[in-house]
Amino acid sequence: MLEIHNLHARLADGREILKGIDLAVGAGEVHAMMGPNGSGKSTLASVLAGREGYEVTEGSVTYQGRDLLEMPADERAREGVFLAFQYPVELPGVNNMYFLRAALNAQRRHRGEPELDAGQFLRLVRSKLKLLDIGEDLMQRAVNVGFSGGEKKRNEIFQMAMLEPRLAILDETDSGLDIDALRLVATGVNGLRAPDRAILMITHYQRLLDYVEPDHVHVLQGGRIVESGDKSLAADLERRGYGTVEAV
Amino acid sequence: MNAGRTPTLAAEPGIPVGQRNMTTPELYALRKDEAWPYLEAIDRFDPHLEAVQPEWLRRERLRALGAFGDQGFPDRKNEAWRYLDLRPLIARPMLPAPAAPVDVAAVQAALSGFERTGTGPLLVIVDGRFCQGLSSVEVPAGIWFGSMARAIVERPEFVRGAFDAVAHTLGQASLKAPAGKAPPGFKTPWSPFDALNWSYFSDGFLLQVGAGIDFDSPIEIIHVVSAAADCSVHTRSLVALEPGSRATLLESHIGAGRYWRNDAVTLTLADNAALDRAVLVEEGAEAVHFDRSEVFLGPQARLASFALLLGGRTVRHEAAIDIAGPGARCQFDGAFVVSGRDETNIVTTIDHRARDGETREFVKGVAAGRGHGAFQGRILVREGAQKVDARQTSRNLLLGRQAVIDTKPELEIYADDVKCSHGATVGDLDEAALFYLRARGIPAAEARRMLIEAFMRDAVERVASAPLREHLLRRLEHRLAALEG
Repeated sequence: MLEIHNLHARLADGREILKGIDLAVGAGEVHAMMGPNGSGKSTLASVLAGREGYEVTEGSVTYQGRDLLEMPADERAREGVFLAFQYPVELPGVNNMYFLRAALNAQRRHRGEPELDAGQFLRLVRSKLKLLDIGEDLMQRAVNVGFSGGEKKRNEIFQMAMLEPRLAILDETDSGLDIDALRLVATGVNGLRAPDRAILMITHYQRLLDYVEPDHVHVLQGGRIVESGDKSLAADLERRGYGTVEAV
Repeated sequence: MNAGRTPTLAAEPGIPVGQRNMTTPELYALRKDEAWPYLEAIDRFDPHLEAVQPEWLRRERLRALGAFGDQGFPDRKNEAWRYLDLRPLIARPMLPAPAAPVDVAAVQAALSGFERTGTGPLLVIVDGRFCQGLSSVEVPAGIWFGSMARAIVERPEFVRGAFDAVAHTLGQASLKAPAGKAPPGFKTPWSPFDALNWSYFSDGFLLQVGAGIDFDSPIEIIHVVSAAADCSVHTRSLVALEPGSRATLLESHIGAGRYWRNDAVTLTLADNAALDRAVLVEEGAEAVHFDRSEVFLGPQARLASFALLLGGRTVRHEAAIDIAGPGARCQFDGAFVVSGRDETNIVTTIDHRARDGETREFVKGVAAGRGHGAFQGRILVREGAQKVDARQTSRNLLLGRQAVIDTKPELEIYADDVKCSHGATVGDLDEAALFYLRARGIPAAEARRMLIEAFMRDAVERVASAPLREHLLRRLEHRLAALEG
């Protein structure tokens, strides 16, 4: 589903962050990308989602057989790429329901499907809200405005449940969550595991992986994947820390 | 410049007492060139008015015309007019429209896309004159609602008294302002277009709400211009809320083509009266729109005013608010959208003359294309007006490299125990917000529109009346859908 070859990317100021990433994520797989602060994890997520401010200097990213880097951010999303933000953005004045309906209908139009009317949409929202234990009142508020940290992260997973992406990238979705919120988020993510969907979880800690078991674990350091393995690698890392990885 | 003109002195309108002994050339020398077409037009306009107007009003009109002739059009050296380019208006005079039969069907067609807020009283003014066929002005006992022309005939003393009271109040102002301001006891001089309006107003409306009456449903006034191009329309209206009364008012201005609207409204709120007012401006693409409100707030009175300025080539919304009574509260909000080569100004003076007053002024603007928006907000707190709490905020979105926003707060404070603040921002759309929307699949253009709308909603949502608010939000949405990136 996703093939990354020798990906190099730098910031506008010229600093090179990604220095040759190779990664293949197949349909139905859950990958965990781990690594210390500054290793390039969030840059990788941003480059895949199409955020401006990064320049790809070398390498390629193929998504469902197409050149992902050629597509603008909104087209990537309509093609099924979803980024759960590390820091979800507050949108004062933009109603949550209105926002989600615009997003869902943009995707449906793109796929040539009829748009959902208000009633159909509301039924869909209600069924998914239960999954993440989100109150309906949150839907009537402006997007992420006045939400607690946990509510923001749950809202990201809720959006993911609504949009049903093919490739979901979770950028530090576990950070700042207490244990109850983490469980809810994990339940949401597990509920979205499917044979035709790939999930890339970016995380600093092993914590989330206790609840969402990855098929593959990678360690990112200095802009490169320095180690890959199965889920036992995560537990290993927790014991020995990132400092020893490079030496292995 | 005016040599060769030979009108008689008798035909010369509005000669002030001090100039009556002057020769004709001397008089001409005092009048501004650009005012001439408007001075001469009185001869064609006057016969129509004569039938319906009392002598005092006729005298007032001529006096006002003299004041306009003396001042002419303000230029950019005039601080209150520095952000508006009046040269096109000067180059191509738009003279007052004489009364003409109204094509009701055509006006109805023009109004068809324009929903109403509800089923409350409605007064429609077409080309500056009340249109019976489109209006429904039934109101409960204790409220007087109707056209200004009718009010002048049926209630001459009330109308005269109300306008006189205004001038009188202005004269009484206990000014403790710096030198150069009008000393106490003098009537505030006419501003040029207010004077022109006095000379030529053809109609308007009067709303008087009796003491203690709380009238809930919005009262709507729709001003429509449908007349031939290149004329001007002047209306003068009066809103008088007696002690403890409450009303909700929506004044909409719509039209098509090229014309000049120059409206004036005087609003007086007596003790404990409360008015929710919205002004909606959706003029024709080539139209010039000036509207000026004079507001007087008595003790504990409360005004909440919102202006939504969405269309017109040159738009100026002006308010002079006299907070004369202690404990009065004034919320004055506005929002404008300019694109193309539109110019829109909001110009306010809020004058705290009494203690314990409160002002909340919140203005938002969006400028796209080569649009130019400006906000000039002056708040004056006079000596002795202690415990005044005034806050002014101006927030603007600049959407194009050629769009321009000017924002100019002016706080003048002569009392020592007050809270006054102002803040102004001008910025582009938030890139992080834009990316968040796009990362959910929303196309860039739609994402921009959503954020612009959200920015403006924030201002409209301050309107307390739900039917008014929803109506204004629909008009805003309609306008933004047509906004070029």
